[in-house]
Amino acid sequence: MLRFTRTFTGIAAAGLALSLTACGAGDPTAGGGGEDGGGGLRVGVSVYDMSSFITAGREGMEAYAEANDIELLWNSANLDVNTQASQVEQYVNAGVDAIIVVPVQADSLGPQVEAANAAGIPILDVNASLNSDALSASVLPDDVAAGAEEMRMMAEELGGEGNIVVLQGPLGQSGQIDRQEGIDQVLAEYPGITVLAQDTANWKRDEAVNKMKNWISGFGDEIDGVVSQNDDMGLGALAALKEAGMDKPVVGIDGIEDGLNAVESGDFIGTMLQNGTVELAAGLAVAAALARGEEVPSDPVYVMPRITQENVAVAKEHVVTGRDAFLADLPDLIAQNLESGNIAYEGIPGQEQ
Amino acid sequence: MTTDVNQAPATPAPEARRRFSREWIVAQLIRRAMLIVMLLVIAFFSYRSLRFTSPDNLQTILIAAAPFALIALGQTLVILTGGIDLSVGSVIAVSGMTAAAVAKANPGQVWLTVLSAMLVGLLAGSVNGFLVSRIDVPPFIATLGMLTAGSGTAYVIGGGAPINGLPAEFGSIANTTVAGLQIPVIVMIVGIVGFGVMMRRTAYGMRIYAVGGNRTAAEIAGVPARRTLFSVYAISGLLAGLSGVMLASRVISGPPNLGQGYELDAIAAVVIGGASLMGGRGTVWGTALGLLLIQTLNNGLDLLLVPAYWQNVIKGVLIVAAVAVDVWSTKRRT
Repeated sequence: MLRFTRTFTGIAAAGLALSLTACGAGDPTAGGGGEDGGGGLRVGVSVYDMSSFITAGREGMEAYAEANDIELLWNSANLDVNTQASQVEQYVNAGVDAIIVVPVQADSLGPQVEAANAAGIPILDVNASLNSDALSASVLPDDVAAGAEEMRMMAEELGGEGNIVVLQGPLGQSGQIDRQEGIDQVLAEYPGITVLAQDTANWKRDEAVNKMKNWISGFGDEIDGVVSQNDDMGLGALAALKEAGMDKPVVGIDGIEDGLNAVESGDFIGTMLQNGTVELAAGLAVAAALARGEEVPSDPVYVMPRITQENVAVAKEHVVTGRDAFLADLPDLIAQNLESGNIAYEGIPGQEQ
Repeated sequence: MTTDVNQAPATPAPEARRRFSREWIVAQLIRRAMLIVMLLVIAFFSYRSLRFTSPDNLQTILIAAAPFALIALGQTLVILTGGIDLSVGSVIAVSGMTAAAVAKANPGQVWLTVLSAMLVGLLAGSVNGFLVSRIDVPPFIATLGMLTAGSGTAYVIGGGAPINGLPAEFGSIANTTVAGLQIPVIVMIVGIVGFGVMMRRTAYGMRIYAVGGNRTAAEIAGVPARRTLFSVYAISGLLAGLSGVMLASRVISGPPNLGQGYELDAIAAVVIGGASLMGGRGTVWGTALGLLLIQTLNNGLDLLLVPAYWQNVIKGVLIVAAVAVDVWSTKRRT
């Protein structure tokens, strides 16, 4: 309990500005909880770790929270399942209005989800899935579609003929399994494409550079393209190709800053944008709607837009260069997306609302 | 009668003194076990993959080995004193992140970037050295603390996230070639030769062996044990700092989890190279051989498309086997 209070004070300090500005505008009758005054919602968030994706996502959540009279309680589990379990328990005990979990591990938190249900607190998984049928809602990316789409980009680039290597995430992780499933689906449509090698580089650039270098030694110019399950490994492969003086198409997923830069410069043929800012803010919007008892789709899917040289400028503006303006417009965008059902929409050319 | 003749070799026979007796050959084989394993591994990969022996592939092995070589050299010195440095992986992360942050703030200042990373490494190593040599904190504990604190610091530097969008000049540190070799490879070669000669030929090298062999005896003989201990941890930190900036530069990025777990690869290289974790026994050449063996396996197993998880199994077995053979052969000799 003491531990929670401490964490809570830390978060309260960060969220102070938010709650102060929100106080006047908020409707005191909104929401079931809020016995400690204020009238707004309190939403507890437990994330697996403070990755760059989560850091970006947090900014989106904070922007949405500020505009919608929500107080965010924030905790990182530092990749530990038990830490995450106790964080969720603390939220349940504190009687928050909704709980958002970005899980460390898919098979976990069974008792905590039950406890939240028993206390009548909506609990949802965002960004990565939790194996439980007792969740109030799920806001997840379509990793299968992302894998399929990146493979399709490569297949089109190669004209349906050629040899590729595939860099995978940690084997057994849901992101890796789903993205691989998508890649395999599209590969089945293109019998002219052969996979020379596929292995894990654990999402990491420094592992991918050596793995790719070894494959270059093994296959040399037989390699026609690199399909990487995330941008970081793709960038590692790119470094290896450059060291070997080779120029081959590379495609990634996630749309991190360096990945978007690589698309812009032509080093990547493309990537799939998973904008954490939009995805996590959508998760918060669904949580808030559930807490307020509003009608909301319970399993909206985040479909990553395809980013190529044609639309990379807009993506870069949203993720890197024009961030403040994007965050300012975000609350309205998220509200519209919840209406339309396409929670990934952010006005990138090629996307439909 | 015939039975007697057959049993004869079992009893200590005078022939055993002959130079090329069976015992002598067996003893030599065991003592050179690692070299023989290395040659067998190379022969096997060369047989299975035509590309394995190409000059390009040799370069591929060397560039992958370079960052590990630096921390393995530092680790050799530490292990020779009977200590251990668990913090090198984290020091790589901190120095890599420092380098990335400095490079982002001062694009074009390549030397400043390298120096700041090395300074951070030296600082972390000095803290380890101080704790071990002056406060007498057990090395395992002191460096375990640094492992944890360092990893946290790396995340602090990046604000919890990798540093992206680095200037292209940052890549020039690791990606410049001189005389056909990338800079990390040159640094590795200079490092191995330099430290190899230092350990064999200088008074400082002798002191490290002396402190690791028997600290009390060394102190009585006038070896400044505390200063020697401090220096090996400082050197290990410095080399980890250099390794960190090279790793970050090679992929032009600052991930806070850079180097995670590398300390175990470095320790493995030292142990496979025949050093004793008790201290006092081991060589830089042995470490270099152990390191090249690990990297050759990484490379060759990739060429043969052995999945990464099987590669770990094979490496794990190799580490234990190397030490088992070493312990067994030491027992035979005594």
